Amino acid sequence: MKKNKSAIQRRLIPSYIFLTFWSLISVFPLYWMITAATNTTVEVARGKIWFGTNAAENFNKLISQNDLWGSMANSFKYSIVQTLLCLFVCSLAGFGFELYHDKIKDRLFALLLLAMMVPQVATMIPLFKMASGMKLLNSVWGFILPSISTPFMIMMFRQNSRNFPVDIMEAARMDGLSEVAIFFRMYLPVMKSTYAAAAVITFMNAWNSYLWPKVVMLDNSAQTMPMLIANLAAGYTIDYGVLMMGVLFCSIPTMVIFFILQKQFAEGITGAVK
Amino acid sequence: MDTKKKGFGLLAKQRAAGWAFLTPATLLIFIMSFYPMVQAFIMSLKTGSSANMQWGNPITYNYARMFQDKLFQRSIGNTFLYLIIEVPIMLIFAVLLAQLLNEKHLRFKGIFRTCVFLPCATSLVSYALIFKSLFATQGLINTVLVHLGIFSENYNFLGTPASAKAVIIIALIWRWTGYNMVFYLAGLQNIEYSVYEAAKIDGATGWKTFWYVTVPLLKPVIVMTFIMSINGTLQLFDESVNLTKGGPANTTITMSHYIYNNSFDGVANFGYACAMSFVVFIMVAILAAINMKVGDTRD
Amino acid sequence: MKRKVVSVLLAGAMVASLTACGGSGSSATATTAATGNDAAATTADGAASQAAVADVASEDEHTLSVYAWDKNFNIPALQAAEADYKKNVDPDFKLNIIEQSQSSDVETAITTAASAGDFSTLPDIVLFQDHWIQNFVTNYPDAWKDLSAADIDWSDFGAEKLSYSTINDVHYGVPVDNGTVIFAYRTDLLEQAGYSIKDVTGVTWDKWIEIGSDVYEKTGKYLLSMDGDGNDLPYMMLQAEGKSQFDENGDPQLTSEDVKAVVDVITRAQQANALYLANDWSDYTDQTIVGDMVAGVMNGNWIIPTIEQVTENSGKWEITTLPTLKGGEGYASNGGSSLYVTANCKNVDLANDFLAKTFGAGSIETYDEALTKGGVITCSTKAGSSEVYNQGVEYFNNQPIYSTIVEYGTHVPVVKQSDFHYTAREQVAAAIQNILGGADIDSSLKDAQDQLLFAMGK
Repeated sequence: MKKNKSAIQRRLIPSYIFLTFWSLISVFPLYWMITAATNTTVEVARGKIWFGTNAAENFNKLISQNDLWGSMANSFKYSIVQTLLCLFVCSLAGFGFELYHDKIKDRLFALLLLAMMVPQVATMIPLFKMASGMKLLNSVWGFILPSISTPFMIMMFRQNSRNFPVDIMEAARMDGLSEVAIFFRMYLPVMKSTYAAAAVITFMNAWNSYLWPKVVMLDNSAQTMPMLIANLAAGYTIDYGVLMMGVLFCSIPTMVIFFILQKQFAEGITGAVK
Repeated sequence: MDTKKKGFGLLAKQRAAGWAFLTPATLLIFIMSFYPMVQAFIMSLKTGSSANMQWGNPITYNYARMFQDKLFQRSIGNTFLYLIIEVPIMLIFAVLLAQLLNEKHLRFKGIFRTCVFLPCATSLVSYALIFKSLFATQGLINTVLVHLGIFSENYNFLGTPASAKAVIIIALIWRWTGYNMVFYLAGLQNIEYSVYEAAKIDGATGWKTFWYVTVPLLKPVIVMTFIMSINGTLQLFDESVNLTKGGPANTTITMSHYIYNNSFDGVANFGYACAMSFVVFIMVAILAAINMKVGDTRD
Repeated sequence: MKRKVVSVLLAGAMVASLTACGGSGSSATATTAATGNDAAATTADGAASQAAVADVASEDEHTLSVYAWDKNFNIPALQAAEADYKKNVDPDFKLNIIEQSQSSDVETAITTAASAGDFSTLPDIVLFQDHWIQNFVTNYPDAWKDLSAADIDWSDFGAEKLSYSTINDVHYGVPVDNGTVIFAYRTDLLEQAGYSIKDVTGVTWDKWIEIGSDVYEKTGKYLLSMDGDGNDLPYMMLQAEGKSQFDENGDPQLTSEDVKAVVDVITRAQQANALYLANDWSDYTDQTIVGDMVAGVMNGNWIIPTIEQVTENSGKWEITTLPTLKGGEGYASNGGSSLYVTANCKNVDLANDFLAKTFGAGSIETYDEALTKGGVITCSTKAGSSEVYNQGVEYFNNQPIYSTIVEYGTHVPVVKQSDFHYTAREQVAAAIQNILGGADIDSSLKDAQDQLLFAMGK
């Protein structure tokens, strides 16, 4: 038995080599980002790839010249609200499209998919007009409204709902449960890994979005992390140490969320029902 | 009679509930995507700037302009080049990595999986900065290649059209392979182990099992990742802007980047930008439709 | 059990967000209304910036809002003006400076507002790049308020600077920074190669290429670097000749002898290792200047802080003028920006008065502080004669560079401007890149000209 085990491991050596190689390539830029955050701008520009001693100064400069915590708070606020609303609205739709499906609904769904293919740049000015008309500039609603309902999320929930056991729905109806109660009391708990996966994706998109927020969030106090970083990355002179410190802060939340939810994420992405 | 009526009532209630569930999402998409799209279409028929836009003369003025626009044609060529090279390579790597990570006896699975996924959790600015500095003329890649004697002198990767395109493709592969891998891995984990056992008993080799058992079962996931990747690549914007700014001499510019330049950069030509957007929209829609037809899974 | 807890939590969150969503219409408008009053009521720093004001233009009679984009450069200058005005005119004055990441963000904001037909999203004042303003006034005339009512002595500013912000003889902008071009050299490296700064002053470009090639051989440093994609170089060189990429009627002249001569110098300089063309702007500043690859830097004087980042080279730099095609000292201007009042300004009198008494009056209090805090150099001859301006600068071997630059500024020739300034520059840059890649100079410039005509809709 033991021998068998080591034979299997030996057979897996190429896999280990390839995976290690790929992992190193994947992680290297992150490592570089962390070291750069500890160096001075001149050291970064000259390609130093080891830790320096400038971390404290970079951090101090970052928080003294920029509203780091304010931007962080904004980014969290917008991303969390967007994630919760998007998950709710899209899962409801996915549930409706799949478990109550008929020909008209399938057609309608195909139509909605078209929205995925609309280039963002084309709709930006009409959307801006709308947001400014509704007085939503600089507000969380202006930020999230265009991305609460996305065809991709609806598709994911619809796809994953196929594995939802329809029989128990019937049983629940027999027991007198309303359709809304079925959604909240049965669908929601069963689909929780799909929710986790959807949450990771939506949060990441919301957190990293730049083009649209740049257009609607006009005031300093509404600034998000990617906007703060863009401010650091522009200007006549760029301080790379400070910039990478900012990038580091911008990257931590999405990574932490992925770390926490990664198991559910992997399960939920194509609809394992547990 | 009574029961029938009751049953009918329930059914109607159910149907109403179904519609109610999908209404908020559908309404939002109509208001936030389709309505602006219609407005953009109307603008695509107009010329001029800002509020005093006028109907094109002829009405198809902006569409006709595209045929003479060498830069737009080049941006189409570039985008399709990225699509044709990047998407297959990326998806093949993604399937391969998923397959390796799905091995029952593999150790450190969690670490590997996390590492492979990490690139798409990094923010776009940092990733663009990192690739730029890695491939800079005095950057790490050049230093290594010169030291190994592969290059005799430092090579300007981002300043030469062909290699700049290659860097964009490499960057895309780096960032998105892990993302797609997760989809495949999840798909693979849904396949019961017994299916493989059965294939083994039937005498199928590793490759055959993969091709005749795994791939067909993964088909829905493959179709989904294809649509996502085609859509993402045809609307490619950030990499072109952040890595090369479309340069050198606009040889790496993508369609979305060019459209953006036309709508916001300098002499805004929003009508023309909208017209180009529509062409992109139609291209993506056609490709996605083909894809869905080929991989139709419902029946 | 655990599973149940999670689902209950999730459901709770959903319900919470649902109720939030249901009330969206009313609550959102309620907040904006409330914050609108808020901003008007509070002048305290923190509170005002905390409030999310939908309309960024100020309603308060002592407050103005302004877009600017560099907190190491023009934002300190605006703060200096704010302090000046507050101290000497209106003690309740407040300038709400809204930071943009780059100058093009301000342009995008105007474009977006104009395309949406809604100027109410703009601040009272914007800092705007000189080279773009003609284009934006022509295309979006309704976005601006001219300054004819402002009490400003225009003769205090260089004619070249004002030629940007004066459109059809109407003044639209008040100059802030100065784009006068300097050519800074590392005197130690020149000396090492057997030259002095005199040898590169007032020479022909041909001679300069010879020296540059020699310096590279002896020191391994380039005498000049530039960004290959934005390409400020041909424009500056042309201006030093008193020429433009456009003729008097505004028609592009990319195939003219002047453009050809300049492009030819650039390609020869690059081939002789006198000039290094970086891929883009950040490579230009970070790798070539901060990365210490060069013995010379030529650009608008706002490049000085970038040069100064390499602290170990302090005292080794000096500045002079540009070479020209036929010899003689060349003067040019690149970049620079001015302040413009937007259509959304509700308190035009305050805006005019603020501009007239600070930047527009050559106020020494404003400009001295702008120089020391942000390195912003004035275009006002009055402000440029102050004590601070005449001090020697240690980094530049105690040369009084600031007053020198103001003096250079008075010599810059006025050249024909165009709405398509940047498009022309891009096309010339593309042509140079193609030529360096082996293409023929005449056909490359012809292509550039055709592309430019296409972009201009001609």
